[in-house]
Amino acid sequence: MEQHAIPGARFVDPKVLSRIGNLELLARTVVEGFINGMHRAPYFGASIDFAEHRGYVAGDDIRRVDWRLFARTDRYYVKQYEADTNTNLSVLLDISRSMKFASKGIAKLDYGCYIGACLAYLAQRQRDRVGAITFDNDIVTHIPPSAKHFNVVLHTLDRARPERPGNLSVPLNKMAEHFKRRGILVLISDFYEEPEAILEAIKPLRFLGNDLIVFHVLDPAEIDFGYDEASSFEDLESGEQIPVVPESLAAEYRSMIRAHIDSLTTKFSEHRIDYTMVNTAEPLDRALFSYLSSRERLMRVR
Amino acid sequence: MSFLTPAFLVGLGALAVPILIHLIQRERKRVIEFPSLMFVRRIPYQSVRRRRIRHWFLLLLRAAAVALIVAAFSRPFFQQQAKASAVSGGARDIVILLDQSASMGYGDHWTRARDAARGVIRGMGSNDRATLVLFAKNAEENMRATSDRGRLEGAVNAAKVGSGATRYGPALKLAESILSRSPLKRRETVLISDFQKVGWTGSEEVRFPEEMTISTVSVASPNTSNLAVPSVTFGRTAFSGQERIAVTAGLSNKGDQMLKDVPVTLTIDGHEIQTERATIAPHASSSVTFTQFTLAGPNVRGNVRAGSDPMPADNSFNFVLAPSDPVSVAIVDGGDRSDASLFLSKALAIGTTPSFHTDVSSSARVGPTAFDKRAAIILNDTMFPPAGGGGVLRKFVERGGGLLVVAGDRTSWPQGEAALLPGTLGAPVDRTGGRSGSLGFLDYSHPVFEVFKAPRSGDFSAAHVFRYRALQPAPTDRIIARFDDGAVAAAERKVGQGRVIVWTTTLDDSWTDIGVKPIFLPLVHQLARYLSHYEPATSWFTVGQVLDLAARAKDHTDRIVVTPSGERISQPGAGEGNEGLLELSEQGIYEVRKPGATTSAKPESLAVNLDPAESELSAMDPAELVAAVTGHATPSAEQGAAPQEMTREEAERRQSLWWYLMMTGLLLLAVETVISNRLSRKEKFL
Repeated sequence: MEQHAIPGARFVDPKVLSRIGNLELLARTVVEGFINGMHRAPYFGASIDFAEHRGYVAGDDIRRVDWRLFARTDRYYVKQYEADTNTNLSVLLDISRSMKFASKGIAKLDYGCYIGACLAYLAQRQRDRVGAITFDNDIVTHIPPSAKHFNVVLHTLDRARPERPGNLSVPLNKMAEHFKRRGILVLISDFYEEPEAILEAIKPLRFLGNDLIVFHVLDPAEIDFGYDEASSFEDLESGEQIPVVPESLAAEYRSMIRAHIDSLTTKFSEHRIDYTMVNTAEPLDRALFSYLSSRERLMRVR
Repeated sequence: MSFLTPAFLVGLGALAVPILIHLIQRERKRVIEFPSLMFVRRIPYQSVRRRRIRHWFLLLLRAAAVALIVAAFSRPFFQQQAKASAVSGGARDIVILLDQSASMGYGDHWTRARDAARGVIRGMGSNDRATLVLFAKNAEENMRATSDRGRLEGAVNAAKVGSGATRYGPALKLAESILSRSPLKRRETVLISDFQKVGWTGSEEVRFPEEMTISTVSVASPNTSNLAVPSVTFGRTAFSGQERIAVTAGLSNKGDQMLKDVPVTLTIDGHEIQTERATIAPHASSSVTFTQFTLAGPNVRGNVRAGSDPMPADNSFNFVLAPSDPVSVAIVDGGDRSDASLFLSKALAIGTTPSFHTDVSSSARVGPTAFDKRAAIILNDTMFPPAGGGGVLRKFVERGGGLLVVAGDRTSWPQGEAALLPGTLGAPVDRTGGRSGSLGFLDYSHPVFEVFKAPRSGDFSAAHVFRYRALQPAPTDRIIARFDDGAVAAAERKVGQGRVIVWTTTLDDSWTDIGVKPIFLPLVHQLARYLSHYEPATSWFTVGQVLDLAARAKDHTDRIVVTPSGERISQPGAGEGNEGLLELSEQGIYEVRKPGATTSAKPESLAVNLDPAESELSAMDPAELVAAVTGHATPSAEQGAAPQEMTREEAERRQSLWWYLMMTGLLLLAVETVISNRLSRKEKFL
């Protein structure tokens, strides 16, 4: 464990994190703090854990025969261990214009970057290969997963600028062609599309058995719609302006966004996709927990 | 309602502004960037509250404020008011001169005149004001300048025809005076009358300034017929100790038709005595003499009534008769010559107005009682009567008696009574040498000689004076006649309430021949009248005259005057100023009573008749009067009332409605601001 890790940093307000300015430092601060705060760390360090015995079959490596058991039972059993495999982590970050929205604290894009950086750091510590793809209505940058790409990933995330409107289906379809190996895909977006369309768009990502973790990043204002005065609202994606009287809209809007989130939750779970809605006003730990849960599942490879 | 700048009404489109403010403005106040309006777009917009107006009152306030301000900019004005104002070119000050003289009682003149006055009042604009002046011989401000048409009409309705004579001068002067004080620019006089010619002599100094106009409403009838009794005369004769009166009534036909068999009735003390018939040619006069009747006592009321016509007021003539008391005069002469006072006594024996009762006595024999109850004493060329010594004669004079001292050879005056004689008598002056003397100067302002003032009213220079007594008057004595050489011929001194005149030559044929000259008789009568304070009994007065009742009664007791209309006027006897004066304003019989007098006591009566001139109804051309007053011909009343051209700008400027609209609009905005601020504190948005 790193001694300079800051206990409880995972609970640090994202606004404070945004002042760090260095993604690596930020990721390390968050992740180390996160790990130190755990009661146990069962997912790391145990590279060879015994799982079970099975009967020897021709072709098995005789080095894996449990000779002690042969001595007692006079039968050949092969030991099976929990595999400590390296995997690919790809951070798919939506950098469409809607992601630059920030009501009070940090922008959704920044928050997405933090998540991506933290996960990349975690993965790098895990010696997983990390890559990143930024996209809006098309792929903007593509960093293939590699054990050496951690810094590049951080650089890419740091450089990401929301400039164009977003669209999921086109870039995700293209991405699916790039993934040759099974891995963990972390999709970070605000998902301003119909749930069916979203599911349709991410289907190709799961063809290779990729483990897909979805982070639905939303600003508090998007959830609560806490506006008071009647104003013109401008759609960051399209630039369209609509006069809005928040008082009359808010309740209806809140119910709609709730329904949207619920719908996504339901549909993602139906497709065995980890879905996590994160609020940019909240600390990053929820995102990290979500990732680690997913990583634990993936680690159980025999 | 018209607008001076109607183009500004386009601004009423701004009425939509408050609505837009309600619905849109606050929503567009600032733009909020939002990631996606995906959900906002889904919400049905129709149900959004911005479509709903929640504060109608505020919206109405805003809309009303905008409408008022826009209306103010378009400069509205009322066409109707503009027209009404145009009649006078703005607010007018009108003086309504309503003739209430007796002649207005002719036919329907008064009704038409009041209708015309009411018409003028009803034609007034809201800002106009009017003064009602009722006039006859004098003018009176009946209703001061007011815009209250109801009060003005009430005053017109309450006005009545009077008995006064018509005089336009005082009324027009009063109108000019009222209008000259008016702050209003438009000043008009409306003269409503029958325009009697006699009411305007042309010498009245009335001149209206340029800014004042006069319009006339004539109610004169074109062909008037009027019978009047302008006067009566009395023939007095004495019969067995009583006085008999023969009344002669003058009749005047002012119309174009001959009046035949007009009944003329004499009434004495309420009893019809006699009715005569008379025929009077058009525009001619006639008279009717009634049979004599015996005058029973003082204050006998008489009346002569002739026929009937549209103007009954002048068909009746009132008078009051009283027995004529002779003036008692004592002539004192030397007694040494027979017929020494023949000329004087004969002269005083003639005449009935008044008749003189003379007693001739010698100075030596006259006793102190001889002066009692005498109105005047004549010392005719005699010494000072011994009976008059000791202040007796002086006291007689001081009590109001008259003393004529006719100076001659025999005249002597004791030093002790010098205060009684106007001057000091000197030696006789003989003018027989050469040309005789004559009266060279007469003080015509003195009541004795006033009647001789007019030309050919007596030639005093025809009398020759051969001798006279020199007289050195005191500075306080009034010299009333001088001889041609400058010597004093007559001088007067007032002693107490009485009068003393010294005549420095004789009034017979000894020193002068004046006794045979025509002027002798009137001269002696004038001297006797003056010294005895004779005032002829007045049988009637004319409306408008002012009587000094205190002077008439010669006492200072309280009086009650009952007018012909029954009004009682109390007059304190011992007051200062005008208490004793009574203006005779009504036709008929005035009664003057003493407070507490029994009803059986016959009160003093005063007969009052119309001014005979009021019977002359011939009308003048109103334009002539207007031209004389204004200096130029002026439109008639109808033309005067015709609307004058007034520009729309002028009408709008006078009404200035825009100012009120603007103020109201701003006030509404202020109220709206207050209310909306309070509401906005309670609510999230409006």
